[in-house]
Amino acid sequence: MDSTAAPENPLLTAYLEKRANLVRFLAARLGSLEAAEDVAQDLYLKISSMELVDDVQNPMALLYRMSANLMLDRLRRERRAAAREDAWLKTERTNLGGEDVVDQPAADDALASRQRLNQLVSGLESLPPRMRHAFQLHKLQGLSHAETARAMGISISAVEKHVSGALKALLAKLG
Amino acid sequence: MNDRLLQERVDAVRDAAADWVVRLSRPTVGEADWMDFDAWIEASPVHQQAYDKAIGIWSLVDAAAPQIDAALGPAAQPSVWANPTRRWQMAGGLAAAALAVAVVPWGDLTAKTVVYETAKGERRVVTLSDGTRIDMNAGSHLSVRMGVSARRVTMDDAEAVFDVAKNPRRPFLIDAGDRTVRVVGTQFNVRRRDGVQSVTVRRGVVEVTPSTGASGQTYRLTVGQRLDHVEGAAASVLRTALPDDAMSWRTGRLVYRGEPLSIVVADLNRYSDKPLRLADAQLGRIAFSGVLQTDDGPTAIRALTLLAPVASTETPDGILLRGK
Repeated sequence: MDSTAAPENPLLTAYLEKRANLVRFLAARLGSLEAAEDVAQDLYLKISSMELVDDVQNPMALLYRMSANLMLDRLRRERRAAAREDAWLKTERTNLGGEDVVDQPAADDALASRQRLNQLVSGLESLPPRMRHAFQLHKLQGLSHAETARAMGISISAVEKHVSGALKALLAKLG
Repeated sequence: MNDRLLQERVDAVRDAAADWVVRLSRPTVGEADWMDFDAWIEASPVHQQAYDKAIGIWSLVDAAAPQIDAALGPAAQPSVWANPTRRWQMAGGLAAAALAVAVVPWGDLTAKTVVYETAKGERRVVTLSDGTRIDMNAGSHLSVRMGVSARRVTMDDAEAVFDVAKNPRRPFLIDAGDRTVRVVGTQFNVRRRDGVQSVTVRRGVVEVTPSTGASGQTYRLTVGQRLDHVEGAAASVLRTALPDDAMSWRTGRLVYRGEPLSIVVADLNRYSDKPLRLADAQLGRIAFSGVLQTDDGPTAIRALTLLAPVASTETPDGILLRGK
């Protein structure tokens, strides 16, 4: 048989195997699945255009470093607020341009997500005041962990505890 | 296990998922976190589900942060609700945010699946919303889903030439049984007939990977390469091929270079209501080379009997091919 297998790229193999977990990982930091998918796609293009690397000791770790760099590039490029604006504009275009009719949510999906937002708001309203304040400063107003800690006069790890406490409460309520 | 213990376990996983999301959002997150996370998420599908739910809420909050923030009001100031103007603006903002988030995170879930079919002898060109053209051969069945993060085609029994509009941010994926074809922008033929897949590239590069759960290796195909794969097998065969041959059905011709007669017969049967049958299985293994017209059944069969050591006989239920 004239079967000549394409040379195996260990990094590409690792990528295909770990893609879903990488997207999950990136989504936590980027706060958006769509942005995480974009970075994963950039990573894929980067890997597939690379020269074959034979002696990759730990493809998993290299994969992580490459995606972390791509993610930092992205975060640097667009500050958080700007990124949000962008997401909004993009959405507007999808809605108004109407080129991808299938991408638009059905009317009841929009209603469902409005209800979900209302649930989020009431979930946050019922949090202990300091927890809610930390979540609001960090997650809603875009202050860093350190800035939030300074504003509230607490430690960075206390900020993290508040934020994850708030997320747990929201999950218990909406999950 | 009693209900209370079960509930406690569910809560514990949910809390662990929330802790992971927050830990990974640290600016100082590093390689060790990634390795730990990978181990945790791989440990159980329950972990994956819980984490994905947490990320869903997390990104929903991010997507609508200004609106939620406005709805909450400053923490120290209890009653924004007292001001009717503010309340009205907020309601409008929330409605707009609802629409926006419905498109972004759930876009792929809400995208509709559209099914395209061709009948015997029918050819059809489908143009998708992104400009991609799919030229479908006769007797083909496939479905298309244009998601936000990926464009996806599922091929049942089908053959088609894809001319994919370039968009690196929205990969084009074709699921053909236990193999997935990934594309950025290119032209190629995909065939999935009777458990055998074949991909031939005319322009660009495509990648064929085992679908989730299937075994085998990944191939990158470039111009003039063809990959054949028997479904269920781990191995595939890569060879050079003339892309024009693989795509000749678009101009009403079928081109064969040493293909088994059984495949030729199966192909011809996609164009005619009068089924061709082989008298015995042995005949099906004869290697056939030649060009057959698809628009004229009798001519094709005459050509077949001239080029292969077979003779045809009309029977009440079709045409029988026997060895000469």
